[in-house]
Amino acid sequence: MTFPIISVTLASLAVGTVVTFVAGRYARWAALATTLVFLLEIGVMMALFFAAPGPLIGGVPSGDAETYAWISLSWLHINYSVAVDGLSLALILLTGVLQLATVVYSWTESKRPGPWFGLILLTGLGSVGVFASMDILLFFLFWEAVLVPMFFIIGYWGGPRRRYAAIKFFIYTHVGSVVVLVGLLVMAFYSGAGSFDYGAIYAAAPDLSVVQQSLVFVALLFGFGVKFPIVPFHTWLPDAHVEAPTGGSVLLAGLLLKLGGYGLIRWAVLVLPSGFLHMDPLVYFIAFASIAWGSVVALSQRDLKRMVAYSSINHMGIVLLAIAVDSSLGLMAAVFLMFAHGVVSGLLFMVSGSVHHTYGTRDIAGIGGIAAVTPVLATMIMIGSLASLGLPALIGFPAEFSAFLATWVAIGYWVLIPLGILVVTAAFYLWMMQRLVFGPQKGIPLKVHDLPIPERIGMGILVAAIVLFGVLPALLVNLILQSPIRGF
Amino acid sequence: MTGGLASLFGWAFLVPLLPALAFIVIGLFGTRLRRLEYGGWIAVGAAAVSMVLALLIALGEMASPDTYTSLSYTWFSLPANPTFPYGFSLVIGTLVDPISSLMLIVVTVVGFLVLLYSIGYMHHEHGLARYYAELSLFLTAMIGLVLSNNLLEFFLFWELVGVCSYFLIGFFYEKPSAASAAKEAFLITRIGDVLFLLGIFIFFYVYASAGPAGLHWASSGFLFAYGNLPFLAGSLGANTPLLTIAGLCILAGAAGKSAQFPLHVWLPDAMEGPTTVSALIHAATMVAAGVYLLAMTSIFLGFTPTDQLAIVAIGGFTTLFAATMAVVHTDIKRVIAYSTISQLGYMVLAVGAGFAMVGLYHLFTHAFFKALLFLAAGSVIHAIGTQDLFKMGGLKRHLRVTGAAFAIGGLALAGIPPFAGFWSKDDILSSVYSVAGSHPDYWPFLIMAMAAVFLTGYYIFRVWFLTFSGDRIRDPTLPTPHEGPWVMQVPLIVLSGFAVGAGLLIFLPGFANLFLLPGGVAALGIPPTYGTTDLLLSVLGVALGGGGILTAWALWGNGRMVELPEGSLWSSGRKVLLNRYYFKVAYDAVGAKAVYSVARAADFFDQFVIDGTVRGIEQLFSRISDRMRRIQSGVVSDYAAYVVAGLLAVFVLLLLVGPYLVNWVGGG
Amino acid sequence: MTTLPVGDFLALASGLVAISIFGILTRRNFILLLIALEIGMNAAILSFVYFAAFPQCVTAATCHPLTGQAIAVVVIGLAATEVAVGLAIVLALHRIRGTTNVAEADSLKL
Repeated sequence: MTFPIISVTLASLAVGTVVTFVAGRYARWAALATTLVFLLEIGVMMALFFAAPGPLIGGVPSGDAETYAWISLSWLHINYSVAVDGLSLALILLTGVLQLATVVYSWTESKRPGPWFGLILLTGLGSVGVFASMDILLFFLFWEAVLVPMFFIIGYWGGPRRRYAAIKFFIYTHVGSVVVLVGLLVMAFYSGAGSFDYGAIYAAAPDLSVVQQSLVFVALLFGFGVKFPIVPFHTWLPDAHVEAPTGGSVLLAGLLLKLGGYGLIRWAVLVLPSGFLHMDPLVYFIAFASIAWGSVVALSQRDLKRMVAYSSINHMGIVLLAIAVDSSLGLMAAVFLMFAHGVVSGLLFMVSGSVHHTYGTRDIAGIGGIAAVTPVLATMIMIGSLASLGLPALIGFPAEFSAFLATWVAIGYWVLIPLGILVVTAAFYLWMMQRLVFGPQKGIPLKVHDLPIPERIGMGILVAAIVLFGVLPALLVNLILQSPIRGF
Repeated sequence: MTGGLASLFGWAFLVPLLPALAFIVIGLFGTRLRRLEYGGWIAVGAAAVSMVLALLIALGEMASPDTYTSLSYTWFSLPANPTFPYGFSLVIGTLVDPISSLMLIVVTVVGFLVLLYSIGYMHHEHGLARYYAELSLFLTAMIGLVLSNNLLEFFLFWELVGVCSYFLIGFFYEKPSAASAAKEAFLITRIGDVLFLLGIFIFFYVYASAGPAGLHWASSGFLFAYGNLPFLAGSLGANTPLLTIAGLCILAGAAGKSAQFPLHVWLPDAMEGPTTVSALIHAATMVAAGVYLLAMTSIFLGFTPTDQLAIVAIGGFTTLFAATMAVVHTDIKRVIAYSTISQLGYMVLAVGAGFAMVGLYHLFTHAFFKALLFLAAGSVIHAIGTQDLFKMGGLKRHLRVTGAAFAIGGLALAGIPPFAGFWSKDDILSSVYSVAGSHPDYWPFLIMAMAAVFLTGYYIFRVWFLTFSGDRIRDPTLPTPHEGPWVMQVPLIVLSGFAVGAGLLIFLPGFANLFLLPGGVAALGIPPTYGTTDLLLSVLGVALGGGGILTAWALWGNGRMVELPEGSLWSSGRKVLLNRYYFKVAYDAVGAKAVYSVARAADFFDQFVIDGTVRGIEQLFSRISDRMRRIQSGVVSDYAAYVVAGLLAVFVLLLLVGPYLVNWVGGG
Repeated sequence: MTTLPVGDFLALASGLVAISIFGILTRRNFILLLIALEIGMNAAILSFVYFAAFPQCVTAATCHPLTGQAIAVVVIGLAATEVAVGLAIVLALHRIRGTTNVAEADSLKL
């Protein structure tokens, strides 16, 4: 990559964020322009990447990262170093799609639009940074940088208990971050890498003893796992989602949870294979617990958003399961599933927000028959739910199919646990639709007209992604496989 | 001519594509197409062209039976890696062979006729654009399913027809019962589907990782292809326990879709949908997909003997089990629904006993006469607006076409020669009988199936007599009945023709070719015999069916009514049957109450134990910090004292543990 | 050249530190506190100068023989600035509270 496209992307996002912050009434236009430029840059990034994919086996995904030395001592090297491979690109693409959908969906945001759109862009900037960083310090900077905008989005634009939720979110994820940092530093110093560079750590990590590897892996599993979130460190998620504004929920579920998954794959699974192997039973256990717990608890929720939040725990549990499987197919499925969950849960949080706008409540039992009142919204709910429960031709199916196939290959009949939970997942979505979408009309709509245009377009973008990658999964699979996952 | 038709095989993908286009057009613009019946005529047109194309393809297969697979798209693929040493690829393509062209005839002909019928039947309903869009999508998925050339693609369309069925059962979504029935149908088939998926995994992995032969198979897309058969047969022996489980998983999937015991409860409730939907989806095509799956699996993958016994048991038991419930119900559609479950049981029985082609033969004839029965029932409902048999009566004078059509369908169902049902049902009984000697385990299920023949004749003519015979309508408040418009009568007449002649079609030159497998693998798909191999058995079958009809006439003919004495064994038996052996109650108790209670408990645990712990820790820290802050006296000297104390503590600590620390770190 | 034995020097330095700490802990008058602090700092300055003369230090590659003296000068400068700031605080405190007793200046507590 001769043209420093990643740095240019980060820079353009940063400039766009600053401009959006001060743009006042024109903030949404600035945000839209920044996002469109960002999408264009993603396109260029992919074109350049596929023109010269670089060696995919080694530590640094692409042979020629954009590197600039920050601190160079005899015993420590810290670089500004960014690079992408298929694994990163898939999630950067997700960032672009979600950012566009969120900006469009919240087009009419009137409560301080400048900071609102600015914070959305800042979340995107931080995520791209996390997905592209090839240096511990840089990674950690971006990792923490994502926390801040989300804290303010929940804390300022959120619901009645927003302060509690924001602080809970911040403390939880911050504790996770600290443990991640400790794990990464141990990896950098104890392995004798003498460098914060991903490639150097990747090369030196096998020098760690098995015990050290396992301990570091557990630390990273906990730290990244809080973001997933894994049971039992998940209770921040429902609270955060219920209080967060719709756009915040979309980014929280769509992007922030993916940071944990990405971090675990890039910095733990790929770097510490033997530590991972030793801790694999633990990972399986947590994955099964998350899958079952998320789904079963979701069944009893009355608040639509809370239900979707618990279903996120279930789906991210499947991601963890696919990671635990420790195979090429499994990791591919994990990344695919993260992408799928990003767009699907984004759509579901959008419909939750729109139900709330229309009825002033999200109580599933208190509303009914909305198919007759707002057919477009009802259609969106159905598409989101069906995609989330894994209907073929929508994005969830190829992901879950691969994940469970990989699980079967790895652990045999244990796969019946997550497969059985699929029935429960179907049950809570279908039951929700039976009460909310179908049946006699219940609840008084605050406004009679169907979805406003911006909300339709915002959801439409996500539906397009859901259908496109559901019908043509090879597009995404081939992209994801252009990474160390291929030979894993 | 032959070459010309065979060259159509490559265009087979157009057959599902046309309804797909109709779905898109109606879905986007349907509400504005008032003149075209909100898109109804578009759907009919697309289905008609599909039907013509499908019939041409079938003619081509009849002329020269062949297998033609076209790989149009690699769904996704994985390069070689440690888990899959040869990699694998999953493809979406079309498979045209005799069996799939047979199914194409069923799906497109019944689909077209039902759509045409809908123009009249559904005219007064709201949401027609939605109806025709969903029905077109269903046709797309169902055609895609029969043209699938591998198990994964099969599963993909399998789920899609399921979701179409879900939406169409819930078409009258404002009725709570319809919304509930739709959910129930989806959930119960989902239980089967989950196991089906596991079965796919097992087959996939066993074959994908099975050396050079498997290499070919997995990397070229896990295809249904005759060329693979020797290899598959060879691996069967080596992996018997695993493949038995895989076969049972496939059976579970098929039982869910084809409403076989114990996953049968959803089909009668699915009658909440429009009658047209019941005719197309819940009688002729989608519910038969389970049988089709079993047939394809038995031909291309093979079942172990244990599996076969399980399939025979499920199928045989279901024939009788469902027929008993059909005897007492008073809702015209529900009786036919139980009849469908029972007839699907026959097909499953045949496939399980190793006669996949015989099962498919019954599937073929059954699709027509059962669709006919449903559409005739729909005509009755359309005319008088009730489904309660005890309110009807004497309709044969008003609804001559419908009455005749229903009678033809009933005779076909009861297995009276020369109607379609006779040929296929007789074939099933005689072929199972022919292997019962070597498999004594099959006997009880064969006897159940024989017993069900009697009940079949009885229950379907009970419906006919209650509906059409007599001289007056029992409920005088009902409107004066009249036949539907021509769009409703034409399908009835055409389907009547099929119900009479579908069985005789095999005497058409070439048609029998559709029941042959090319490539010398006929052993796995024994073709139907098209006639009696055992005259005594045939006579017995017809006598049982005819006896059932006569019993029905004796009890219900000419407007007679039978009152069961209160408190007798008969009436308590009737109560059990009306409550469907309490299966529904039990499922509700497990599904709705037990699982929901667990979920509530889990939610409580989540909020008060897991999150409670978190909040407890938070409060602990605030307590501690509340105590600690009192140290902050604000007096400089106090702080200085703390500093000095801390310093001293560090010194002491270093003196005590310092030497050990130095040793442990290994510094000098 | 006669050298002061290490033990004697350490006794001197420790004594100064002890006096300093005693003063800091017992005095309530701000000015006396400052004086006590200065005494402690003198102990540090003396140590730098004393140990700079040791041969181990002089021969070490990373150490210049004048390093100790240089640091001592820096600390003296530091002490001077500190006293300046400290006296300024004393004056301000006296103007606002009318006292130089540190025990009464406790409004920063939680």
